Amino acid sequence: MNQIDKIVFGDNQFFGINHMSQEKAQQLSEQFYKIQNIFNVYDIAIDCGIKAIMLNSNQRAIDICDYFRKNESKYSDLNWYPSIPYPHKYANIISEKGIFPAINELLFSNNTASGVLGMIAKGSSAIFTKDVIKLMQMLIDAEVKMFKGLNIKVIFLQNVVTDLLLGFGIKEVFEEYCSYIENKYKVIPGLITLNLPYCITKLKEWNIKNVVICSSINKIGFTMSPNIASYEEIILNNNPNEYQIMAMSTLASGAIPPIEAYEYINNQNIQSVVFGASSKKHIEETVRLLKG
Amino acid sequence: MDKNKIKIGIIGFGRMGITHYSIINSHPNVEIVSVADTSKTILSILKKFNKELNVYTDYKELIDESKPDAIIISTPPNLHYPIIKYAYERGVHVFCEKPFTANKQQAEELTNLFANSNLVNQIGFAARYGDVLNKAKELIDQKVIGDAIRFKGEMFSCAIIKKTSGTNWRDNEENGGGVVYEMSSHMIDLINYFFGEPDNVAGTVRNKVFSKNVDDLVSTTLIYNNGLVGTLYINWSDESYRKPMISLEVFGSKGKIIADFYGYKIFLSKENKELNLRKGWNTFYLTDVYKPTPFYVRGGEFTNQLYNFVELILGNQKTNLCDFAEALKTERIIDLMFKNSITINN
Ligand SMILES: NC(=O)c1ccc[n+]([C@@H]2O[C@H](COP(=O)([O-])OP(=O)(O)OC[C@H]3O[C@@H](n4cnc5c(N)ncnc54)[C@H](O)[C@@H]3O)[C@@H](O)[C@H]2O)c1
Repeated sequence: MNQIDKIVFGDNQFFGINHMSQEKAQQLSEQFYKIQNIFNVYDIAIDCGIKAIMLNSNQRAIDICDYFRKNESKYSDLNWYPSIPYPHKYANIISEKGIFPAINELLFSNNTASGVLGMIAKGSSAIFTKDVIKLMQMLIDAEVKMFKGLNIKVIFLQNVVTDLLLGFGIKEVFEEYCSYIENKYKVIPGLITLNLPYCITKLKEWNIKNVVICSSINKIGFTMSPNIASYEEIILNNNPNEYQIMAMSTLASGAIPPIEAYEYINNQNIQSVVFGASSKKHIEETVRLLKG
Repeated sequence: MDKNKIKIGIIGFGRMGITHYSIINSHPNVEIVSVADTSKTILSILKKFNKELNVYTDYKELIDESKPDAIIISTPPNLHYPIIKYAYERGVHVFCEKPFTANKQQAEELTNLFANSNLVNQIGFAARYGDVLNKAKELIDQKVIGDAIRFKGEMFSCAIIKKTSGTNWRDNEENGGGVVYEMSSHMIDLINYFFGEPDNVAGTVRNKVFSKNVDDLVSTTLIYNNGLVGTLYINWSDESYRKPMISLEVFGSKGKIIADFYGYKIFLSKENKELNLRKGWNTFYLTDVYKPTPFYVRGGEFTNQLYNFVELILGNQKTNLCDFAEALKTERIIDLMFKNSITINN
């Protein structure tokens, strides 16, 4: 399997996401209201040696992608790790209209509607598995579109979706997702999950390999289900030729001091770390500590 | 079929039904045998991927034909009453989404029925399963801030920020829609959990801003005979909140505590050596009290809640954090709010 970057620069800090404090989240969203401030942080990160970026397919990501495409010569050796979908876009429309009308609206507004959607809109029960798969592929295409022209390495499915589908335990959905990403986009399929042991166990059972798994991995077991011991065991015995593992939430939202956090991470059998930070000091420090 | 597994049927397969399916399907001692929904599209898709599942458009058929040991109800609230009653008559354990019912009388009747049976009965007030809020409750129960005198409960979300068409069940009060039943019920339940049922309700004001038929904002005052008083303010039309937010502030004779999903702060007028708390402010985060959940989908609360339901049926746990009798308290408070409220059209 094509090797993923050891250090990936994440995006939560730009979009007013902070899992510990509403105030901090507000402050971040004001700080990055001007998109130039986001580009400035990317430049700092790149100066510190970052070569890979993870970015969720939200509204602001459209402008970010545009900027990097326009300045391709300056940023030619960057690798991109998109994560899809942008869950909040769907959440609000779904609460107003229901799941299927929402999907309809999203796809119709993209002018990519086809027969299957018409059928779903009419509430027809004559829907085939292949139609559902087709629908899934159209949703993927709609989300990945904004990243076109960038050098994509992995396409991740957000944990809200991955974990919901994992619970359903439907092999076909994961098979189809992975093969579509591999065949159409020629990149590695990725899954973000907060249930890494469950996820890897299922993928093995289904004989689905060559997947990047991104999951919270930190010294205190924060958002690591079912528990840290199961994570450590499965990570220790993992074969990176089958599943490359990328750690996120390594600082557990700031609960673990960086030195301690990365000492733990550097001792795990994992291939990559995604982190977010918005100051030069923190970015430099993280890169230094991760290089050990 | 595996004899050691309990058989579960899910009725109502919208947003919550889908979440519950995913969560409880991860439990090693559960087998989901059936799903009912009025949408044939949803059923047909499900059946395509899971050939062994029985699907129904009529919940009565689900109960009679697939013979589940327990059901999970996640339909619009006006259907909770007839479905629970039917399940009771056939001896089926019930987990039902909040709000319990769409009026107090129905909730009373069902509570009485189940009180005289051995059936596990639970309502989905998931906030009771949050790690931070439970820690805050524990500290208040230990009188760390002295006697509680005042509280302030708030909830915000951006669920309704445009004029609605009025067709969704959430836009109909008789169906259990509107901000009072849909959202403030969570906060009222939390207050019942923390302090018991209030004795009186005053000053309920509701605003209609975006919804066609129902209110979007509500505030009220809850009063206890022992002198405790609290105000609630709930708003589902506040665009400044990207994610739903719930917070509870309690002022006591020796300090105060402010808690939400992400952390809690305590202010004390004197040092508490036993609990290692300073005089003045002490801040704690979710990470300080976090307990891992067996399978994570949309936060640990939903998982802990459904696993509690299953473990109660299996006899592995004894404490039901929110049985019908508990949820009935919220129905009584909402009834009082509705009886004496002012509605403002904005
Ligand atoms: N605990 C929480 O945080 C939380 C969050 C959201 C909703 N809820 C509660 O969950 C319940 C459902 O809410 P939702 O958001 O999933 O709504 P929804 O509208 O997404 O889903 C309701 C489903 O019920 C189905 N249905 C309608 N009539 C039916 C019938 N007669 N038989 C079978 N199915 C029928 C609908 O087709 C739909 O699929 C409500 O009581 C709501 O208050 C709780």
